[in-house]
Amino acid sequence: MLVLTRRPGESVMVGDDVVITVLEVRGEVIRLGIRAPRSIQVHREEVYRELQAANRAAASPSDDAVRSLARMLKPPPAQS
Amino acid sequence: MTAQVEKVPTIEFVSPMPGFPEHRSFVLVRLDDDGILYALTSVSDPGLRFLVVPPPPFFPDYAPEISQETLDTLGVSAAEQVLMLLVVTAGESASASTANLLAPILIHHESRQAVQVVLNGSGLPVRAELMAA
Repeated sequence: MLVLTRRPGESVMVGDDVVITVLEVRGEVIRLGIRAPRSIQVHREEVYRELQAANRAAASPSDDAVRSLARMLKPPPAQS
Repeated sequence: MTAQVEKVPTIEFVSPMPGFPEHRSFVLVRLDDDGILYALTSVSDPGLRFLVVPPPPFFPDYAPEISQETLDTLGVSAAEQVLMLLVVTAGESASASTANLLAPILIHHESRQAVQVVLNGSGLPVRAELMAA
């Protein structure tokens, strides 16, 4: 892992168009500002991991599962 | 959130869904007569598909605020131009199926660009029972 030392207000470039700036350091909490092109999504790592796992679990359900779900949705659930 | 699902046959993810970095183009296929169950199928790999649903029939109170930053990502000026879909994980039984409320898919129904957005700070669940009622 590359290790760099930065002070508040200083930045790091990742590639040509991602800029990560240290905004504030307060005790154990560090606030970062991240500027990235819209094709690059920025997530907290634990959120990303959870979403990745959820998407993988959701991907490509079996035809049986889809059929039984479609059956269950008919008639549509109450619009309470 | 009044966009019609029927108007969005092919969509392009501005950034890919987490876990599937190689899949950007999807087609939206309606799976039932009532228009509440859809498959989002990868153009490059039809074997990859996600079940998605519009929120209202299942979660009538679900109306998360979409940040301006997210709207900018899609090149959208107002939330009304965006169609929202929830990713469903089919369970062992249909009643065990869940929907991801934390990270809905947003689709700009004119440009057909999409993004799966994380509603940070919303406290919404990744797995909410689809048939909670």
